[in-house]
Amino acid sequence: MTQAGGVRQNLIALGLFVVVLAALLLWVGASGYRQDLVVLSASFALIALGIYIPFLLGGLLSVAYSAYALIGSYAVGILALYTDWPIPLAWIGGMIVAAVVAVLLGIATARLSGFHLVAVTLLFSTAFQTFLTDAESITGGSRGLLGFRALDFFGYPVSRQAQMIVAVVLVGVLGHLINRLASSPWGIVLQSSRAAPLAVESNGISVTALRLQALALGAAVASLGGALFATYNGGVSPETFSLQTVFVAAFMPLVGGVGSAWGGVIGAVLGIETTVNLPAVGDSGSFIFSLAVLVVLVLVPTGVLGALQWLLKAGAAAMGRRQMPIDKTPQEKLS
Amino acid sequence: MLEPQLWISVLEIGSFYSLLALAYMIIRQGAGLLNFALAGYAMLAGVCAVWATTTLHLPVWPALGVGAAAGILASVATEFLVVRPMVKRTENEELPLVMAVAAVLFALEQGSGSIFGRTNMRGLRPFDFPPILVGEAVVTPTTVSLVGTTLVVFFLYSLWLHRSRTGRMLRAVGDNSEAAGVLGFPIAWIRFTAFVIAGAIVSVAGIVFAQKAGISFRSGLPWALKGFIAAVIGGSGTEWAPLVGGMVLGCADVFVPYYLGGAALDYSIFVIAVVFFIFRPQGIFAERVRA
Repeated sequence: MTQAGGVRQNLIALGLFVVVLAALLLWVGASGYRQDLVVLSASFALIALGIYIPFLLGGLLSVAYSAYALIGSYAVGILALYTDWPIPLAWIGGMIVAAVVAVLLGIATARLSGFHLVAVTLLFSTAFQTFLTDAESITGGSRGLLGFRALDFFGYPVSRQAQMIVAVVLVGVLGHLINRLASSPWGIVLQSSRAAPLAVESNGISVTALRLQALALGAAVASLGGALFATYNGGVSPETFSLQTVFVAAFMPLVGGVGSAWGGVIGAVLGIETTVNLPAVGDSGSFIFSLAVLVVLVLVPTGVLGALQWLLKAGAAAMGRRQMPIDKTPQEKLS
Repeated sequence: MLEPQLWISVLEIGSFYSLLALAYMIIRQGAGLLNFALAGYAMLAGVCAVWATTTLHLPVWPALGVGAAAGILASVATEFLVVRPMVKRTENEELPLVMAVAAVLFALEQGSGSIFGRTNMRGLRPFDFPPILVGEAVVTPTTVSLVGTTLVVFFLYSLWLHRSRTGRMLRAVGDNSEAAGVLGFPIAWIRFTAFVIAGAIVSVAGIVFAQKAGISFRSGLPWALKGFIAAVIGGSGTEWAPLVGGMVLGCADVFVPYYLGGAALDYSIFVIAVVFFIFRPQGIFAERVRA
């Protein structure tokens, strides 16, 4: 791609983002409930983006993400209740702590993969939740931490609407950066290490180090999601991000589409919409979402984005513009 | 470690974990995957049996039948609708299958919650008698049904594995599925059988264990993890290995909270899992595949 083409693409992306943000602001209006919904979706989108880096780029199914999100949330809580430092420091602190924990856990589980890695990281999340419930003097036990002071910017209070915008902008920026990262040399090596670790290793690149970097990065992004959520709600408990929610978060990038970081964002919006906001289905939203996940896994492994892309191309071809060849879906290529 | 009552508890909990571990082993041999969702079948069977008595007003034994049928059906559905199409497509990739069984487990939990309610339920008691005092320990109907069921299941399974045609084929596929395929073994049929048998075993396990610990739609995930660890601890060298793995994990489950407090259990389970997975992934009884 030429330099000018890259700039043009970035401008288009920026324009698209501004349009989405404007549409969101119009839709939310003055509704506090819709505002909550957007922040919840944005938080989960960040967690899904965090999962996307090691899982879909590196093939590492570490699922300790409820722990990382909780680290972010509790960092905000502890800083807000026990110090008078500015709250965004806690966002950064939480990201660092989560990254360190992810590296330690990654070292301990370096030899595991697949089912075993899932089991151990789930057990870690369980143990971490127990720890939060148990260490009552710091974490407030099962009640958690409540009543944080409101977010301010050098003394100026930041309204809830502004916080929502910050959350959405963070999702946009990080999603864009992660997409860039995926096509950077680092991202390409990481993706190759998934398919051919020996080839990567024989080029003098340590696969272990690469994986630890991916895990640390993912944990930091997920922790930011937890931190935003806790800042907005002014409270957190061990149940805020339970093992069940991490399941939902891990499915989000798959539903949205595995080819791009935006898949995680779309998955988060769809996931929150079905599990929280569909009044017609009552409390069956999670059930419907999990069935959707199964349908995607079994029938459309490229997810919503992949299916859309395929439809667009097929549609363009049907309309007679034959210069665009129809790409086969990965499923067809394999069979 | 001298309290006899605690050992009774170990036997009860250990029995349950052994059955889950056995089911893990069967599906692993037949299909080559560790099916987390099987704890979901156990939960579904238990919850559905309770629901059959409270909502359909069935007597206990027919209700147990309904529960077991639901569990087996879920297992067979997993094989047909998820595993079979995915095994065809993803030959060398494990990750999509891991996500798929996790999604099945999650769907079973949420589905049971939506259909049968999200409350904690008391398990059904297939038979009842006043507690018996054996030495210093009290033996309840729960103890008898849990331990008895486990022994019967393991005995029958061992008999089936060694005496029946399908049982011997399952062992062959478990040892080397490619070679078995080359020799013309009906791989898909064996995988189906493995899911049916494992589904039946965990359904019975879930129904019987529900009377000890109670049951809710959220029981699936914790059971899945415990059964998985028991399966890894035991190894797959013999069909009795899951029994040992289950009992070892049962000891941890009973004695750690008793001596060190409840929170220590979750920490030590994590440590046990890491230690076993990393240093002895083949378990106590290692598989010796003939070279």
